[in-house]
Amino acid sequence: MINVNEQEELFKLISNFLEKDLSCIAIGGTAMMFSGYKTTTKDIDLVFKNNEDRDIFVKAIYSLGYRQKTLKGIYDKKRIEHQGKPIMYTRVDERFDLFVENIFGFKLDFSDKNIVQKQVFSGKKKLTLVVLPKEYIILLKSVTSRPKDFEDIVTIINLEKKVDWDLIINEAFRQENNNSWIVLDLEETMLKLKKFISKDYIKRLYEKR
Amino acid sequence: MNQKYTLETYAKQFNLSRASALNKLSKLKKQGRATVSGGGYQKRIYTVSDKKIVKTNGFYDLVNKYSPEKLVPKFEHVIHGRYTIEEAIIDGIEIGDIRTLEATKHLFRNVNNWKRLFDLAKRNRMVKKVRNLYQETYREMKTKKMPKRYLK
Repeated sequence: MINVNEQEELFKLISNFLEKDLSCIAIGGTAMMFSGYKTTTKDIDLVFKNNEDRDIFVKAIYSLGYRQKTLKGIYDKKRIEHQGKPIMYTRVDERFDLFVENIFGFKLDFSDKNIVQKQVFSGKKKLTLVVLPKEYIILLKSVTSRPKDFEDIVTIINLEKKVDWDLIINEAFRQENNNSWIVLDLEETMLKLKKFISKDYIKRLYEKR
Repeated sequence: MNQKYTLETYAKQFNLSRASALNKLSKLKKQGRATVSGGGYQKRIYTVSDKKIVKTNGFYDLVNKYSPEKLVPKFEHVIHGRYTIEEAIIDGIEIGDIRTLEATKHLFRNVNNWKRLFDLAKRNRMVKKVRNLYQETYREMKTKKMPKRYLK
């Protein structure tokens, strides 16, 4: 587990070991911590624009003692076999899940369109972490569907009065071509969240199909 | 959602004594879920949020400090480490919409290190854009003079 301050200090440290300025998108627990939804997380999920950027980041954390770990036991078989799977680096009880361009087929837009927060860590080089809107965090949490991901979704919904479910549904359908089970995962999550969301949204999910 | 209270309204809302309300608000402040404005001869107003309030200190804070044309932040910009006027100019050009550029022009008045500005511009491949924005600024308002070597 890592808390907000430890995470910030860790990123500051990493920025001192980078070979060039990097920018990536923070998703999952990291994004939730930056947005103020929770105070600790097990894993730090980052999405990079390309392999080159990820390699530079890996080099930096490798020199800090992080080592690669198998995905088994964390993700299920269908996710481990998917092309958009992450590589995982761990040290003691901190873990990095590092994706490139997409999360199990869910392609992320790296333009400035969807940014809600930018966290910049200036060490020797600059490490910029971009945080996406809560709707994307919810959708991506239902795509990764690891233990505790559902709990995190409930936390967001409890804290936020307004969640744009139309945006979530539209985005899931837009991404369906890249990965057919994105919509299925969302359906599963929405059914579990029945008491929090209006039936109309669940209906919309079926109408669209 | 952010809600605003005075000590008395907070105590009334949550059915607490004045002392308990003060303790509760103090705890919330420590957790980063409450901020306070006022004090002294002004009544303290507490802003309480369900989640941790993110304190920004980036581009928009700097621009709104120096520019008379204020901007509504498009995103929360949080900097861990040093953030200079020169970096803010580059960020402003990168954001790039007209309102942001107009506000960014006012930052040229406070540039201290032209070398740093052009090093950053080179790294971000926007030397021409910086030069053009400066020249526009120079025509429109009183500003610092850029050393000639950077104008070529």
